[in-house]
This record gives sequence, structure tokens and C-alpha cells, in this order.
Amino acid sequence: MSKRVGILIFPGTNSEEETLRACRAVGLDSELVHWNADFDAVRAFDAYVLPGGFAYEDRVRAGAIAAHDRLMLAVREGAAAGKLVLGICNGAQVVLESGLAPGLDGATNAQAGFTRNAPLGKYRSTHVYVKLSIPPERCAITAALKPGAVIPAWASHGEGRLAAHSATLGRIAREGFLAFTYCDANGDVTPEAIPNGSALGAAAITNERGNVLAIMPHPERDAWTFMHHDASREQARGDASAMLATSGGIALFESLAKALAR
Amino acid sequence: MRGVDDVALQAEIRARGLALSLLEIRQIAERLGRDPSIVECHAFDSQWSEHCSYKSSRHFLKRLPTEGPTVMQGPQEDAGIVHLGEWQGERYGIVIAHESHNHPSQVVPFEGAATGVGGIVRDVLCMGARVIALADPLRFGPLEDPHSRYVAQGVVDGIAAYGNAIGVPNIAGDVYFHEGFRDNCLVNVVALGLIKESEIIHSVAPAGSAGWDIVLVGKATDRSGFGGAAFSSLVLDEADAESNKSAVQVPDPFLKNVIMRASYHAFEAIRELGLTVGFKDLGAGGIMGCTAELAASGGFGARIDLDTCPTTQPDLPAAVIAVGETQERLAWVVPPSFTPRLLEIYNEEFSLPMIARGAQAAVIGTVTTEKEYVLTRRGVEVMRVPIDFLAGGIRYDRPYDLPKPRLGFPTHGTSLIKDAFRQARGEDRELKVMRVETRAEEISPDELEAEVIRETPLVSSLFERDLAFRVLAHGDVCSRRPIYERFDSVVRGTTSMQCGYADAGVVVPIPGSPLGVALSVDHNPRYAEVNPELAAEHAVCEAVRNVVAVGARPAGLTDCLNFGNPENPADFGAFVASLDGIARAARELSVPFVSGNVSLYNQSAAGHSIPPSAIIACVGSIADVSRTVTPGFKRVGSAIYYIGRLGRAIGGSVLAALGGRDPRILPKIDYEEVRRQNAIVLDGIASGTILAVHDVSDGGIFVAAAEMAFATQAGARIGAALFRGEEDPFEPCAPAYETAFFGEHGGFLVEATTDFKNVLRSHGDIFEYAIVMYGYTTAEYELSTNGLEGDPRARIETYSVDELYEAWSAPLRNFYEELPQ
Repeated sequence: MSKRVGILIFPGTNSEEETLRACRAVGLDSELVHWNADFDAVRAFDAYVLPGGFAYEDRVRAGAIAAHDRLMLAVREGAAAGKLVLGICNGAQVVLESGLAPGLDGATNAQAGFTRNAPLGKYRSTHVYVKLSIPPERCAITAALKPGAVIPAWASHGEGRLAAHSATLGRIAREGFLAFTYCDANGDVTPEAIPNGSALGAAAITNERGNVLAIMPHPERDAWTFMHHDASREQARGDASAMLATSGGIALFESLAKALAR
Repeated sequence: MRGVDDVALQAEIRARGLALSLLEIRQIAERLGRDPSIVECHAFDSQWSEHCSYKSSRHFLKRLPTEGPTVMQGPQEDAGIVHLGEWQGERYGIVIAHESHNHPSQVVPFEGAATGVGGIVRDVLCMGARVIALADPLRFGPLEDPHSRYVAQGVVDGIAAYGNAIGVPNIAGDVYFHEGFRDNCLVNVVALGLIKESEIIHSVAPAGSAGWDIVLVGKATDRSGFGGAAFSSLVLDEADAESNKSAVQVPDPFLKNVIMRASYHAFEAIRELGLTVGFKDLGAGGIMGCTAELAASGGFGARIDLDTCPTTQPDLPAAVIAVGETQERLAWVVPPSFTPRLLEIYNEEFSLPMIARGAQAAVIGTVTTEKEYVLTRRGVEVMRVPIDFLAGGIRYDRPYDLPKPRLGFPTHGTSLIKDAFRQARGEDRELKVMRVETRAEEISPDELEAEVIRETPLVSSLFERDLAFRVLAHGDVCSRRPIYERFDSVVRGTTSMQCGYADAGVVVPIPGSPLGVALSVDHNPRYAEVNPELAAEHAVCEAVRNVVAVGARPAGLTDCLNFGNPENPADFGAFVASLDGIARAARELSVPFVSGNVSLYNQSAAGHSIPPSAIIACVGSIADVSRTVTPGFKRVGSAIYYIGRLGRAIGGSVLAALGGRDPRILPKIDYEEVRRQNAIVLDGIASGTILAVHDVSDGGIFVAAAEMAFATQAGARIGAALFRGEEDPFEPCAPAYETAFFGEHGGFLVEATTDFKNVLRSHGDIFEYAIVMYGYTTAEYELSTNGLEGDPRARIETYSVDELYEAWSAPLRNFYEELPQ
């Protein structure tokens, strides 16, 4: 039986449709799950994707209220049992607030957070590239990517700057929790490529077990050729099926699908 | 009121905070045969306001063309619908709505702009559509003015806060900074929706709906936004700014996010049951305005029990519940058999009461057969009026003075240019500035025009090097990226071209389908200062051109007519002239208007009115998104053509704004030429022979070329080498170089393959078009300009693209920096 993916919607989530489309495009048996869905039905999923948006209006801090939502009880339980959890943008903020990543020394509290962007402190939506900065197999969700894979995405957030105690940041960097860093189109990690002042240039964080990934930029917003700004779009000129095909950011979802097919 | 003298009645009206005129209130009392109640006074105050009734403008709006093969629904409801295309046996339409939220945004910028977005989204939603895109035309005072900057920052933040949270991509817009908007900013909002033709829901109580339930959905009614419609029909007085703030609504995008999704769910339930229902958003006039219009447009009456309307506090006055403009509310007319299911969707499945205090769906009234509109409060009728009298509004025939006609300069046709050309070609070595002689039938004998002609040299040496940087750094030209980045342009995962990326925004709204939608907005206040009517025509031409530039077929237009005080004949004359202008342009280009909005009284207490602003949005349909084009140069060594006609008129241009040049004459529009240019570009894109396109607008050909170079970090050389057909190489014009490079003569700059010449031939003689500017893309990351071949004074000027990019991107980089007040 194919593994089932639950895409969780909190009040204020806004990226559920494209996330569902990306999951289905790679063959994942996926469905949208409402905040007031039957709890046992939520627990029955084999993996969870937390999409972007402004869950509970980002009150207190982005992700702070949603981390205490009933749905997250099922996600915590699932993550502890080794189910895969992918949080994107607001979903990544919820994952960190929930303590599902990085979870150093088996901790279950929030050890790091995605905080207000620097220097402006404001929401910003800009195209970025991210580079896989761990060995692919370190995290189950990235296992099918090539080492050092570069993926296009959109950083569309007001609170995406990784912040933590300096000792924690050091361990995130050294001990393989820093899954993706911002980079330029050539894959070079440069300070100019960081859109939000994020510590370590961090775009994504994983956990000890490698079954949770919290990624700030949206790979699903640059996952079809018609969305691209690079030469691939020009190459698809005049060919509707090529223009409507998945490419670019879809790679992360393909890797997720392979992990779930195992 | 009857029997009270004018002075006392006027005092009474003002004391109650009403905007109704003496005449209006007497008319109401006479029709009712009694004094209107307090609730009735407020109801008419709102319903008969300029904002709701278009009492000054409605009869003029009939001049707009509203029919055509692309129209699915014309401008009778909150939004119009144009045909997009067919996919899997279904006909799809694009819902378009366009509104202003100018007055609230000037008073409280953040909330004013945010609720503007909220309102327009409801207009689209209530047609049964998915909301798929937003765009914002914005006009602010100069950024050097601290208050204008405060307004601009607040407006941008407000749009960002609302649009980003509800998850609708912001894909287009424009921003102008202009002295004329210092006291009255303009915040216009355009929203698009996607709908199948078979699933359109109307804002009408359907046939046979007598006895059906009226269900109110959304935020509990509170004190916010009381008197909003009447307020926006007043001249803004700085002293009243504080008291006017209570008339501005309070946005709740978080709740709206959930209401939108719940409503999509309700649409599905309604379609499954095959019901015909009515759905309308609550805007001006609150519960009363919405339910009265729903019932009246179906030929019914309505009875609303104000006690059943959810409120935040128990003791709200009846008038506040009835006409208060609390945000995030919509009303349904549904058969009672469906009501329980509808309430279940909103209140349980989407748990509205949990999302915001008091938010819910509730039955508040009934559709009736008697043509009366009745409100009850605690068992007592507080309002009972003939519904058609209430909803029909009134009409004013205001006097107006048409603006003094100013001239468009002929874009071609001067005979002596031949001589200039011969000289340029070396046939006459002595190059001199020509005396100008013009063809009589094309030139008016107007003094002004003659003067301008005399002063405009035909051929001059190349422009000063510094001019390029000054034009690129001008407030109306420089990069808007710091503003556009504040908006989420890619949520929903359907965006193909974002704000600022191309001349129009493009979304691909139906997953798996190659159908695409293009959207652009336009109007140039600098033009409007010179000639409102011609500026309005240019706005239509440019909006259409921008949609064409990405490869879309123009399908429909909307207008937001922002003007000064209609009681001032000069302001109202500009309105009438502009309306004639957009009507003419729309007819000439065969693109119908399907919806629109009028915003009058954009005037400060000191009597300053805004530049007449007929802001136009154009929606284009794309049959195959793989046949669209972006502006960035694509290859090295391909040809660059200017598809347009150069002229010498530079009125309204950035060049003129920089000073030292005659600004008084706008480029004239030759519609035959505009149609042909659009057709050439569409053919070139469809055939794949055009590789890149950018429209030529603010800052002219030089800016267009620079922006095409910025987009893909490419280089190019463009020149004023005039080449023409072999038979008559000398037709038609050789303008001054700075006018050629920076004049705003419309048309397109295109990068094309060699086969593009075949496209040109198919539209007539290849050299019939004034392809007087041409060039090619280069491997060097440079932009260079050169002059007429054989002109000894012309020299090649080379700019580093990085240097130009810096000049272009610097001015707004510090948009959020605060200035000392």
C-alpha cells in the first residue's frame, strides 16, 4: 500500500494548494487535512507536510501558536516514531517552535527559531537558490538528491533568520543539522545570497534522526518550468508540455517521494 | 424636518454627521410622507453617497464600450467577467474587479490600504470565483516629503500585510511619485478570479427566492467603519483627520483567509446540489447596502431583523448595525433547505467562531415579495422604505468645463526631414538645423505648437552622457523592487511572471492547462497634467500594449476614475474628457470595459485636486503559456528593432520633467499605427521570431533597452541610424537624438531573429514601419548608443550596464528610511 501524506492546514495557512500539487506531481498519495479533522485520521498518515502561510496570524511569533495545535500532537508522535515531517516556510517555523528540529541531545523544546528578517525586519519575497550542505543520506527527505545539489526556491517570509544560542549554532553547523544554505545561481555560498540575515546562511535545518526537515524558502514555488527565470524557460518556448512540466524545486519533493517508496 | 427651515435643518444634518444635502433630505421626507427615522437617514446617507450611487458619474459611464466577443459578463455587478479559453470541455472566465481606497489610505495608510485589498477580494469571491491575482496602481506625493513617505510606507505595508496573509499573488502594479498626490494619495486595487462559465454566482436574489433566507457571514459587526461611504465622498480636511479615522474599517486578513476557503467549500456544495443562489459582499452601506441591493436587483424586498445580526457588543445603535462597514462580511440568499448545510460549513467545518470573536454565519432576514426594505430592532420597525427608491439612488447633472484642448504633436510627416537625411547621408555636407515646414492637414495653426516646432531642432548632437543616469534615477523610472518585494507574488504556485519582471504579470491558473492570464495597469499623471483626455487614451493604449508585450491577447479593461471635486466644473470637465478619452481608445483597439469604479472628491481642504487619473487595468488571455515572452535580452548578436514611430513631442515625458525642454505637447496617438504595432508583436511572439519584448514608456527607448539588459545581464548597442526602404529611404523623420532615445512615443523594443523580417513583411512593406532605431545584442556587458550614420557630430557613447543598474536601483533602496518630520 502506498504511503499517505497529510498536508496540514492551520487557520491562516495559505500555501496548501501548491504544496498538494507538488506532492501529487511526484506521485505521492496526498490530501489536505483541516485543523479540526478527526484526530485518529490525522494520526493515520505516514508522513506530514506543513505548508506555508501565517498559521494563527503569526501571533506571538511565527509558528508559536500552531506548535501547540492539536494537529501537532499527531506530528510529534509520528516524528518520534520515525515518520517523515517536511515543514516549508511557516511550516518550518512551526517545526522549530515545536522542537522537532534541531532536537540536539534528544531535546523536545525549541532550541532555535526562524526570527524576524534582517536588516529591515520586514516580509520580503525574492527568488533564491539553496544548496544541500549535508551528505544527502544524512536526512531521509534529501537522500535522493545529489551531494551539493542546488535547488531554486522563493524566500517569501518576514521571519526567516535562523537565530539560536551561539553554542547551539556552532553545533548545528558542525554536527550536520544545517541541511541547506542560501547560495547564488552557481551554487556559491556568498553573503549576498542570504535574503534575510540568517545565521550560518541557513535555509533549512534537520533533526538528529534525519526524518524532519524545516526549510524556509519555497521549492514548490519554482517547481514547474513556466515559473523559472533561467534559460530552461527559453528552451521550453513553444512546447506547452515542456513548459508545464515539473523541474527545479520539484527535486526536493521527488526525493521525499523516493524516501517514502522505500 | 418638514416645516423646519433650511438653516436649522442644515445644522441638524451636520450634527448627526450626515453628508446628505438639504435637497436630498427634503426629497426623502416628501417621498416617505413623513420624517425619516435616524436609521433611515443613515441608510440614505450611505446609499445616496457618490461612492455608492455614482450620482454625478453614472450617466457618463454609459459612454464606455462594454460589448465584444470576449465579454462573459459586462459591468452590471461588482465585477465583470471576460472569456479566458476552454479547457477539458469547460469555458473558463476571468473575473475582474477594480476599486479605489484613496481616502482611507490618506487618513490611516496601513489600515486603509489593507481594507482596500480586502474589499476587492470579496467583490471577486462573491461571483463564485477563486481569487487568483492582485495588482496595485499607487500614486504618492514626492518621497522627499516626510508625510508622503509615511503614507507610501504605510500603504505598501498594508497591502503586504493583507494580500500576503490571504494567499493571493500580487503580480502587477505601478507607482508614481508626484507633487499632485501630496494631500491625496491614490490606492487602487485590482483583483482577478477564475471561474467556469457554468458556475457563475450572481449578486442577485434569484427568481423565485421569496421567502428564502438571507445569511450573513463573517466578522461580528462592531463600531468600525461607520459612515465610510459618506466619508469617502467628502473633501479631505486635515483638521478632520482624527474624527475621520473612525470611518475607516479594521482589516482582518486572518479571518478572511478562512472565510475565502470556507466559501470555496460552499461553492462546491452549491454546485453539487445544482442550486441557484445569490451572494454579495458587504462594502459601503454595510448590511443595509448589501441586502437592499441583493433584493432590489432581483425585484424583491427584504426584511432584516437587526437583533439576529451578530455584534461585538449588545448595545450597538440600530444605525451602526444597519450601515456600519465592519470588514470581512458577505451575505447569501439561499433556500431554507440549504441553510443548515451552509451554516455548518462556516461555523463547524471552518469553525469561524473560533477564528475571531463573534465571527460566524447567521440567518438575519428573509427575501420578501413586497417591494419594501424593512429593518426591525427589538420588535420595532426602525426602517421601512420603498426598496427601489433606496437602491435606485439619485442623479446629478453637474456643470462642467472641458479642459482646454491641447494638441498632440504629429508623430511623423515633416517634409524637410528628407533634406536632413540627405545631409546625414553625406549628400549635402553642410549639416544644419532645418527650418521646419509642415504638411498643413496634419498640423494645426495653433501658436503654441508652432512655437514648439520652431524650438525643437531636427538633428542635434548626441545627448549629454549624464542624461542617461538622470533619467534612469528619476522617481518614475527607477527600480520598484524594494516595493514589489514586500508583496508575495508567487503564492498559489501559479505565477509565471511577477511584479516588475515583465510588462504584465502572468499567472497560469488552471493546473495542467497551458491557458494563461496577463494583467497590467497604467496611467501617467505627468501626461494628465498636460492633457487629461489624451493621457487617458495613452493609459488605455499602454495597458493594452503591456499585455501584448508578454504575448497575451487583450480581453477586457477596467477603469478606476480618480478625480477631484465633481462640484468644481474644471475637475468635472477633466472627468468627462477623460471618460471620452478612454472610451475612444477602447473602441479603437476593440477592447471592452467590463467593470470599473469612480472615486471623486480627491481634493484637499486647501482646494488642491489630484492630477486627473483614469487608471486602466487590462486583462489578456494566453492560449499557450509556452508562447509568452519576457523582456530580458536572450542571445548575443540578435537584432533589436523599435516597433513604433518616433516623434518630437516630449510633453509629459521624464525628459521634459527633468527640465529645460518644452513640456507642453503630448505625443499624439495614431490608432491605425497602434493596432498594427500590436499585431506585429503578437505575430512575432507567436511565430517565435521575437525573443524579447519591452514596451517603450517612461524614459523611452534608452530605458527600455537598459531594463532588457538588466533582466538577463546582457549587453546591447542601439543606434539612431535611420534606415528605410530602398525606394524612399528618406521618409519620415529624424528627431533630435535625445528625443529619439528618451522620448516616450509608445511602441515596443524587441529582440528578434532574422526571420522576424518575414513577420514584418506580412504586415506590409518591411520598411513601412518607422524602424528608425535599431541595434543588436552584444557579448560585452555594455549598452552603447550611436547616432546617425554620416553625422559628424554623432559619436558612440558606451555605458557599463552595472553603472546604469546602480543608477536605476539606488533611488528606492532606502524606501523605508525615515525622514525627519
